[in-house]
Amino acid sequence: MELRARLLRTATSRPGVLLAVCPGAARARLAMERELRSRGWPQVGSPASANLLVIVGDPDPADAEWIDGLWLGIPAPKARVRVREAEDVPSALDEGRASLLVRGKRPEGDAGHVDETHGEGDNHGTTPEHAENNDTHGGHGNHGDDSDSSHHQHGEHDGHDTHDSHSGPDTHSEHDGHGGHDGHGEHDGHGGHGGHGGHGGHGGHGGHGGHGGHDMHAMSVAGLPMADRADDRDGLRLDRLHVPLGPALPDWPAGLVLRLALQGDVVQRAAVEQVPVLPSARRPFWNEPWLRASTGEAVARGLAARRLCAAHLDSLWRYLAVVGWGGAAARARAARDQALAGESSGEVLAAVRPLIRRVQRSRTLRWLTAGLGVLPSDRAASAGVSGPALVAGGDAYDRVGVWLDEVGRAAAAFDDDGWLDAATELSGPRGRVDGGVPPSRALLDVLPGLLEGAEFACARIIVASLDPDLDELVPALRPEVVHG
Amino acid sequence: MAETTPLWAVAVLPFVLVLVALGTAHFDALLAADPAANPGREVLRLLVQQRRRTNAADELLTRLGVVLLPVAAVLAAVVLPLGFRSVSDLADGIVWFNAMEALAWAAVWLAGWGPNSTLSLIGGYRFLAQGLAYELPHMLAITTAALGAESLRVGDVVDAQSGLWFAVWMPAAFVIYLLSAMGMAFWGPFDQPVGRDVAGGAAAELSGVDRIVFLGGRWLLFVVAAAVSVPLFLGGGHGPLLPGWAWTLLKTAAVLALLVWVRRRVPGVRMERYVELAWVVLTPLAILQALVVALVVLNR
Repeated sequence: MELRARLLRTATSRPGVLLAVCPGAARARLAMERELRSRGWPQVGSPASANLLVIVGDPDPADAEWIDGLWLGIPAPKARVRVREAEDVPSALDEGRASLLVRGKRPEGDAGHVDETHGEGDNHGTTPEHAENNDTHGGHGNHGDDSDSSHHQHGEHDGHDTHDSHSGPDTHSEHDGHGGHDGHGEHDGHGGHGGHGGHGGHGGHGGHGGHGGHDMHAMSVAGLPMADRADDRDGLRLDRLHVPLGPALPDWPAGLVLRLALQGDVVQRAAVEQVPVLPSARRPFWNEPWLRASTGEAVARGLAARRLCAAHLDSLWRYLAVVGWGGAAARARAARDQALAGESSGEVLAAVRPLIRRVQRSRTLRWLTAGLGVLPSDRAASAGVSGPALVAGGDAYDRVGVWLDEVGRAAAAFDDDGWLDAATELSGPRGRVDGGVPPSRALLDVLPGLLEGAEFACARIIVASLDPDLDELVPALRPEVVHG
Repeated sequence: MAETTPLWAVAVLPFVLVLVALGTAHFDALLAADPAANPGREVLRLLVQQRRRTNAADELLTRLGVVLLPVAAVLAAVVLPLGFRSVSDLADGIVWFNAMEALAWAAVWLAGWGPNSTLSLIGGYRFLAQGLAYELPHMLAITTAALGAESLRVGDVVDAQSGLWFAVWMPAAFVIYLLSAMGMAFWGPFDQPVGRDVAGGAAAELSGVDRIVFLGGRWLLFVVAAAVSVPLFLGGGHGPLLPGWAWTLLKTAAVLALLVWVRRRVPGVRMERYVELAWVVLTPLAILQALVVALVVLNR
C-alpha cells in the first residue's frame, strides 16, 4: 500500500493538464500557461492522456455539458479544478494535484476551486429518451455508483467505458447523430440549443440520441448512428461525418466551436459557434488599451505597443504549434511572456528578432502554408475585416508575415511615451475596436467560406492564421463597472 | 561477411533498443529545454493511468495496432548489425527490413481506426497517405544500396563499404533514406499522423499502458530506421582504431542527433504537399541515383 501511494505521488507530481479555456479568460489563461511551464507540468492534447482538467473562465452553465464530456474522457486518477482569476492559478493547481493524491482514486472535489466532480454528472444525460441506449445508460449508472466505490471508473466497467468514447477530444461520434438528423429533417435549430452538447459529445446528452431515436435504428451501430453520404468535391458519393471541432483542442482559439461536415478529412461545410459564458464586466484583455483610449482615457503608446506585441506573439505561437514547428512555437511563447512581464524593449527585441528572421526565412514554411485560406483585400474589406488579415490581403503565409512585421515594430516601441490618439489609432491586434462590431466578428464571418474544401490540417492552419479572439464577443456586463 | 550472434542476443535486442530510444528521447527533451518533456516522468505518469475504452470501439484491432508497432520495430532490428554481427544476417535482410517497417502502416491504421473516433481516424488516414508518399523513393534508396553491394544481405552491404562509404557516392539515396526514416516512424517533421493539430491523431484515444506501448514503439521504430542508415550508407562498423561495435554506436548516435536537431528547425510536413515532392522530385532522383550506381557496378 505504502509503495502504491508513493508511486502515485511520484507519478502525479507533474500531472498532465487539459485546459478547457472559455472566452473572456485570456488573462487567466496566460497566467495558467506561464505557471504550467514554470512547474514543468505537461499540457496534454486530449482527455485520454490527462490527469487534471482545468477549466479557465466562466462557462454558462458552470457545469456545461461539453466540460462534463471532457471530464468523462479522462481516465483515473483524475481531478478537476476551475480558475477564474489569474491570481488563483497557483493555488488551484496545488489543489488539483492534492486532490489527485489524496483521493487519487476518487476525485471528489468539494472545497475551494475544486469543481464539482463526476458524481454530479448524472443530472444530465440520463434522460428518459435515452434509456434505449443501453451502453450509455449503463455508463451513467456506474458513474453514480463510483462516488462511493472508488477507483473503478475506468477499465473495468463496460458501461462506463463506453461512455468515455464520446467524451474523447470533442469530436466524437455524437456528430453522427447529426447525420441521422439530416435524414429526417433539418435540425440546425437543434445544433443551436444543444450547441455545447456537441463538443463533449458524450452519449449522455440525451438530446441528440433522443431526437433521432425513433428513426435512427435503421442505420445505427451500438446506439450510434452511421455516417450519412453526400457528393464530395470531386463528384464522388462519400461518407460524410458531422464533427464539432473545439472548444478544448490544443492550440485552438479559446471558446471557438466549428461544426464541420467532413468527408474523409476534407471540410465540406463549416459553421461557427461559440461556448456560452457568463457576461463579464472586463474589457477583452488584448483590446484593452485601445478600448480605454476610445472612451477618452489617456493610454500610453508604449503600453499599447507592448500589448500588441504580446497579442501577435500569442497568435504566432499557436500558429507555429499548429503547423508543427514546436521549436519556434516555444520561442514565440517565451517572448510573449517576456513582453507581458514588462521586460524592456531591448530584451524583448533580442528574443524576437532571431525568431522573426527564422520564420521569415523558412522556405519550408512558405512551401507548406502558401495558398491556404486566401482572403483578398477587397473581400476582407467588404466583410468588415480590418486588422492584419486586411493588411495582408492574401493567404495564411501573408497574414503571418504581417504579424511578424508588427511584432518587430511594436517591440521597438515599448518606450514610446506619447498618447494613443483616440481618433486615428484605435486599431488593436485584430482590427479596429471602434467599429461597433468587434473585429473578431468579421474574422469569424469570413472563416466558413475559407474552410470549405480545405483538408483538416489546412483548416486548422487557416483558423490559426486568422486567430479570432472570442473574448471580444463575450457579452458585456454594463452597470456599475463603467466608472468602477 | 557478418557473423551470427549467440541465441541470447535475441532476448537482449529489445532492451538495447529501448535504452537507445530512451536516450534519444532524453536528448530530444534536452534540446526542447522543456521540463515537461521528460520521457521517464511521462512513462511513470502514464503507468498509473487506467486504460479507457471508447464507445463502439474495436478493441481487438486497437490493441493489435498498439502492440504491432514495437513488435515491427524489434523485428526490423533483427538484421541490424552491431559492428559486424547482427542477430540474424538474413540473405535478403534488406527486404526483411522493408517488410517489417511496412507493418507500421497496419499498426497505425488499426490504432487509428479502432477507437471509433474522428480525430484518431484522421491520424490513421494520414499515415496511409504518408506511406504512399515516402515509400516509393524509400524503396528505391535502399535498393540502390543493395545494388552497390550486389547483395540484399546487410552484412554484404557493410563489407562493400570497407573502402568508400555509400553515403559518399550515393548522396541522393542517403538523403532520401534519412527523410523516409523520419517518415516511416512518423516522427519529427513527419509526425502529422499523431500531430498536435488532431489532438494526438492515431494516439488521441490511447491512455495508460496503451499509450506508452504505442508512442514508445514509435521511438523504437525511429531508432531502428535511423540505425539502419549506418550499415546501408555509413560503412557500418568500418572505421580506424575503434572496434566495429563502437563505430556503429557512434555513427548511429550521430545520425540520431542530426535528425533530432533537424526536427527543431523545420515545421511539420503535410502529405498533401509532400506527396508532390516525393513523386515528382524524389522518385526520379532516386531512379537516377540507382542508374548511376548500376553503371558504376557494371563497369567495375
